[in-house]
Amino acid sequence: MNALWDAATSGAIGADWLQAELAPAGDFGRRARLKERLLRRGDEARARGDIARVAAVARDVEGGRLRALRAALATAPDPGALIARAASGGVLDDVDFFELSRFLESVGEAVLLTGDGAFADVRPPLADGGLRAHLEQGRTVSRTFYLADAFAPELTIARERSQAAQTAFDLARSHLAERAARYAGVESLRDGEFVLMRDRLTGPVPREIRIVRESPTYLLCELALDEEALQAQAERDAAAACVADAEEAVRARLSARVAAGASALEHACETLGALDLFVARALFAQRHACIVPEIVQRAEIAFEEARYLPLATALAERGRAYLPLTLELNGVGVVTGPNMGGKTAALRTLGFVAACLALGVPVPARAARVPLLDEVAWLGIGAPGASDGLLSTFASEIVDAAAFLQRRPSRALVLADEFARTTSPREGRALLVALLATLRSRGCLALASTHFERVAEAADASHYATGIVAAFADDEATLGLDAALQRIAQAMDYGLRIVTADAPPRADALALAGALGLDGTVLERAREEL
Amino acid sequence: MNVAAALLAQAREIGMASLAVVGTSKNAGKSVVIAALADALGRESTPFGLASLGRDGESVDALEGTPKPRFWLRPGATFATAAVLVPRSPAAEIVAVTSERCALGTIVIARSRAPGCVEIAGPPSAAALRRVVTALRAQCGFVLIDGAVDRIAALRGGEDAIVVAVGAATASTAARAADECAALVAKLRVPPHDATHEAVAIDGALTAGEAAALVRAGERRQIIVTDPTQIAFGGRVFLELARQLDLRCRESLHPIACSVAPLWAERAFEPRSFARDVAQRTRLPVYDMYANLKTDAA
Repeated sequence: MNALWDAATSGAIGADWLQAELAPAGDFGRRARLKERLLRRGDEARARGDIARVAAVARDVEGGRLRALRAALATAPDPGALIARAASGGVLDDVDFFELSRFLESVGEAVLLTGDGAFADVRPPLADGGLRAHLEQGRTVSRTFYLADAFAPELTIARERSQAAQTAFDLARSHLAERAARYAGVESLRDGEFVLMRDRLTGPVPREIRIVRESPTYLLCELALDEEALQAQAERDAAAACVADAEEAVRARLSARVAAGASALEHACETLGALDLFVARALFAQRHACIVPEIVQRAEIAFEEARYLPLATALAERGRAYLPLTLELNGVGVVTGPNMGGKTAALRTLGFVAACLALGVPVPARAARVPLLDEVAWLGIGAPGASDGLLSTFASEIVDAAAFLQRRPSRALVLADEFARTTSPREGRALLVALLATLRSRGCLALASTHFERVAEAADASHYATGIVAAFADDEATLGLDAALQRIAQAMDYGLRIVTADAPPRADALALAGALGLDGTVLERAREEL
Repeated sequence: MNVAAALLAQAREIGMASLAVVGTSKNAGKSVVIAALADALGRESTPFGLASLGRDGESVDALEGTPKPRFWLRPGATFATAAVLVPRSPAAEIVAVTSERCALGTIVIARSRAPGCVEIAGPPSAAALRRVVTALRAQCGFVLIDGAVDRIAALRGGEDAIVVAVGAATASTAARAADECAALVAKLRVPPHDATHEAVAIDGALTAGEAAALVRAGERRQIIVTDPTQIAFGGRVFLELARQLDLRCRESLHPIACSVAPLWAERAFEPRSFARDVAQRTRLPVYDMYANLKTDAA
């Protein structure tokens, strides 16, 4: 597989959430992101450098400056198409020059905001061959663009002549128009055709008015230009043509300058894209107090107080506490504990930390030791095949596991959430034990959550337990769901503890069912059954 | 008297900072009115903006190939148009590139720096047009909007004075054209609802079928639409159904006048009697930019 994880795994480990958090602000960043690939085994040196640079900027640069940079990148127009047009010999138009000026301003702003060493590798190039300064001649105080006289002396001359010719024509025409308007009894006549009502006419139609069409009650007319006005009109049109030529010559010269600097401009576009992605990462690291992990070669993941941010953020929005997780996994492990005790969250945290590394961002933890991987696979609840509806839950889990084992990635992290729970417990347990043993023998990292008993011992895996439930009082079923969930959360210890003797996991499912409102007689009968 | 200046004065009297011209048909003379108003604003040196719904200002009608007025603008006029239609000469000042698009591409805001003709193109939706008008208002005090045939939805959400254009192209006779104009004006003038009386609120557009069903059911309560542009039928059908229903709206529009274009390539109406007919039927002042005539409401 080209990607490090499939869509279902991406959702399960919070990689989707992470990608959204790291979304670039502008078009350059979005384009750069399409070309970006995830970091995998073999990219250790690059990963160390990238993450260290992001962490340094997150530590040393004020958030306000990073946000200003992001805002500048968000509004920078994309000059890609106009650069290509100019490079192929086309003459750009004034809207192109306006956009190019804005782009160069954005580059200038980005250069200013990245003026220190922390941005050394992603700072946009300052050199634009003087293009920005040249285009500045067309920028007004209010940052509009006009093909101003300053671009060329011949433009000034042509425009002055054109203005004079227009004034001469207006004057010649206005003499005629005034006489015609006076005859028509109106203040002024519209350009082009106009109507004179016969009952308003005060005498024969004067020679300044040409009749286009007659009717019993009105005349459709237009102004008849005399020799002087026609001459002035011809001179005006000729002067306007000179202006057009002069303006086009300036555009051609400007376009040639753009063409000459095309590769530098394209490089600036690429750098802005890389900068956009970099700033998104730095802001993420700053926002979530991330640290630089130790990137290791061996098959182990260890972290202290790591946070699965999608859950931590959602809980914070509801005013609820989140307990960071500490874990040291060498090879294969099993996590057991009651429902709602945080087993799945432990798996997700593991995947999330791996995803942060693959995306080149510092990790939300107090300390972390992580390897780069070739694949992260989520099996069990929420796995890819589980949602297509054609296979049973059991069948789709087996199909996913079979596909993963066939791929044989050299360094993978497998997260198995209650794998094989939907078949007979005896055979389901056997399958899970066998799967973990196989993964261990292949050098994979794996963590499996399960309610099956004595899996860790049989698979020679580390055993962690989570979520020890305190006793629930009998009246808790009457609390209502929200309050019951709060009480359960308070009763849980979501921290992972290493279990040395592979004792049966404490489930406390009946106590939880009672707290969640299951009928007392049903619970009573269940207790008798135990 | 310059009738375009008089029309501007009428809009300003009621505090309107924008004026939209809508037509009863194609070639009803909308662009002629806009050109006359642009000329009047230019003469008084008032900075103004010009926007359009759809494409306008071409020298030849894009659909019919018939001659159309282009907009001659004096220096200082701001206009919204497709980037490809910004005149190459005389060069215009590029003020902004908007995020709105039309069939011809991105819409930009530009300002004329020398006298010349421009072609105008606008976005196809009412909401986008409102955003373009807002962008123009940031640049100038008064905005002219050239509407499009059967696109009165563009008036939604705006505080524009509205001029309804009718011409010889609208119908085969002057009386029929005046009827069409009266129906459109009546629709635009649907009164605001009375909160003290019972009402039926219509969610979205009111179709002719729904209105007919309400008539058959003997509905006597107010029928409330968000604004008159939500009434999805017009002409005689509207007049007939509106006679039998108490149609109301939450947000009223502001039709202030009509314009007439009595001469068309294929037919002509007698200017004065046509204007009188329209004034009588609509009870609005009527302006004829060709004949420089203003006919007061009867």
